[in-house]
Amino acid sequence: MPRRTLYLEYRDESLLRLPYELHRKVFKKAQNTWEREKVATAETIKDLAQKASSGEHSAEDSVKALDAAIAKMQNYKRKVETLHAEEKQLHGHQAKRIAHLQDLYKCPDLMDKSYERWSRKRLDRLLVDYLARHGHLETAKKLAEDRGIIDLVDLEMFMSCARIEESLKNKSTAECLVWCAENKMALRKQKSELEFELRLQDFVDLMRNQKLNEAMNYAKRFLAPHKATHFNAIRQAAGLLAASSRSHLMEHPQYKALYSEDRWSYLAETFIKTHNSLLGLPPGPSIFVALPAGLSALKVSACYPSCPPTTSGPATSNTSLCPICATELKPLAKDLPYAHYARSSMDLDPVVLPNNRIYSEERLHSLAKKLGLPQGMIRDPTTGEDFEQTQVKKVFIM
Amino acid sequence: MDSIQAELDKLTGKSNLSKVATDIDACIKQLEAARNSIMQDPSQHLATMECLTRTIPTQLEKINTDHREIYTGMNRFDKALNKKFKLSASITKTDYDVFRQIDTKLIDKAIGMHLIREGEFEVAETFEKETGVSILDINSDLKEGFVEMYKIVSAMRLLRDIGPAIQWAEAHATELEQRGSTLLFQLHKLQFIWLFANGTKGGPGKLEALQYARTHLSPFMQHLKEISQLMCGYAFGENMPREFFGAPFEDPEKQWDDVAYVFMGEFCSLRGLSADSPLYIAATAGAIALPTLLKMKSIMKDKKTEWSSSHEVPVEVPLPPTYRFHPIFVCPVSKEQTDEKNPPMLLTCGHVIAMESLHKLPKNEHGLLKCPYCPKSCLIHHAKRVYF
Repeated sequence: MPRRTLYLEYRDESLLRLPYELHRKVFKKAQNTWEREKVATAETIKDLAQKASSGEHSAEDSVKALDAAIAKMQNYKRKVETLHAEEKQLHGHQAKRIAHLQDLYKCPDLMDKSYERWSRKRLDRLLVDYLARHGHLETAKKLAEDRGIIDLVDLEMFMSCARIEESLKNKSTAECLVWCAENKMALRKQKSELEFELRLQDFVDLMRNQKLNEAMNYAKRFLAPHKATHFNAIRQAAGLLAASSRSHLMEHPQYKALYSEDRWSYLAETFIKTHNSLLGLPPGPSIFVALPAGLSALKVSACYPSCPPTTSGPATSNTSLCPICATELKPLAKDLPYAHYARSSMDLDPVVLPNNRIYSEERLHSLAKKLGLPQGMIRDPTTGEDFEQTQVKKVFIM
Repeated sequence: MDSIQAELDKLTGKSNLSKVATDIDACIKQLEAARNSIMQDPSQHLATMECLTRTIPTQLEKINTDHREIYTGMNRFDKALNKKFKLSASITKTDYDVFRQIDTKLIDKAIGMHLIREGEFEVAETFEKETGVSILDINSDLKEGFVEMYKIVSAMRLLRDIGPAIQWAEAHATELEQRGSTLLFQLHKLQFIWLFANGTKGGPGKLEALQYARTHLSPFMQHLKEISQLMCGYAFGENMPREFFGAPFEDPEKQWDDVAYVFMGEFCSLRGLSADSPLYIAATAGAIALPTLLKMKSIMKDKKTEWSSSHEVPVEVPLPPTYRFHPIFVCPVSKEQTDEKNPPMLLTCGHVIAMESLHKLPKNEHGLLKCPYCPKSCLIHHAKRVYF
């Protein structure tokens, strides 16, 4: 297998990384529940044994207490089973994705049909990723369903992410705060600012609505715990409490910023960033990396000629197939660098026609044959002019 | 990849919460057993409770171990992932910013176009609604064109009905002929092969095929060689000696796919479009190019050098030949690609160099210069601008 195919899937890490991170979340939940359950159960049993031996509990009391413990344990077991179902589903996703990546290894080379099929699937994935990240969730879902790649993309995750983003844009912090609570440990580890910023926003909003007492209580409860890391911001926010009127404050740029409506889009952006880094998602859609690389690799000066070639190229030339020359990609490739070529790259049998156009001799012959031209005649595939074969001259490309 | 699969197998096979659930069950059973034994024989009350203080912690410890096992398994999976995707770490945040300056509308348009080209018309419609981007100009009939194309192609692919394709090819016979296309013959040939192998009534239809050949293949005198190969099917059967006749009857299902692809190619080129969606080609080329580009990036970073020419990618990307759409001429003297400003010039000896290189060559007062690659001389005004 050619070496380079082995590298191809390097950027598909998030394909496997995401289910893993989601799985880890499930496991963390399971472990936390278990830690609590373990301590509680151990203590209950110890306690019951003691009460039995001290005579505080009769046999009947113990039976009752054991019934309660059993019920509690069963309840816990149900929780574990729910988590196990989630875990199983994620394992399933993981398996399908690994199989998808394995398919790449089965392609004998880049020219094989199987690689083309695989690459098409990859593009579908990249498109769904792009669409979902830009909030076009309906299109994303439809495309994923139509192409049968629902298990290879993480639409549910994008949907819940979009819901929270939307709620922030609609000026509500509640949904995002719930998310923060769910991911408390991970956020703390990352030293994320998100929760503080949300709390600050809530505080500012209370002030905006002149709810002084509530604001004070809110600050005590939710801002004060952050004093080690955000002392200055808290002090500044506290300034709001001292000011008698809002218009007075608005003269100061830092207070104006606190009251600004732009803070909501800032919060939404911060949330997305935090969310993505928490789940090991790339900061942008993968197609933003793949596409420019591809455009540059294909872009040559011939794609931007001063006089455009005729649109319907002949069957013997590739020109009309060039993706950079296609109207939809041309503007995207415009400012990207050109491909680098150290040597000329063309057919090995170039000849020049009297009109100064250079073609492959063999291609000219096969075109003449296909067109059924009279013996000894050839046709310029671009201009349609006919020439005698004797007018054709060999050209040497070093 | 195999190591990741192996780690996953371990996770799905044993290191998961099902084991926890089983051990919780065992714990519940112990509690139930204790409860029942106290119920039956209250005199055992103390002893049973005493026993629980020994058995339950052991059982809890077991569940603890189950959790630890999952934890270890997941860590190993994580390690396997990191090892496999080492290269992905070399994609940095800035790599996602290349398109920052570009209007998302343009990207959306390119994607919308791709959807239409792939025949995903409904998805394209949803996309237009959701983004507010109109993919095509109002007076463009491109979409109708692709609707027609996919209708014909799905007739071929799903119904094995070649009729619509032949109808289209006959309607566009002159244009196709001008392009030197053999589509019409290939369609008839496929129909012949299909009849020969499958017939219309189930089972081989050799007679039907012969009838078909007489009416539809006979006009194609220029393809006599191929026709005679096909006719050998009557003498030798389907398994004729491949070294003489090729394998015209091999894998007809695949031939349908191949001919459908040829059809799409011709259909698109008559409209000045490529058979494959440009977005698909570009994205695939990107996937092939990226490892090389990333490697280059890390080398340049290590050596703290920067690429001096900003309008060219710093390294040649090894794309397969089908991804080269234009002939590339690099001046052998200056090693630069030629363009409109610095075009390729043909010397009388047949060698080609760039115009700038030509003017830098030493010449005598008559403008006579020696070709850098052969002993011949050439007058500078005899050098001709050529077009690749």
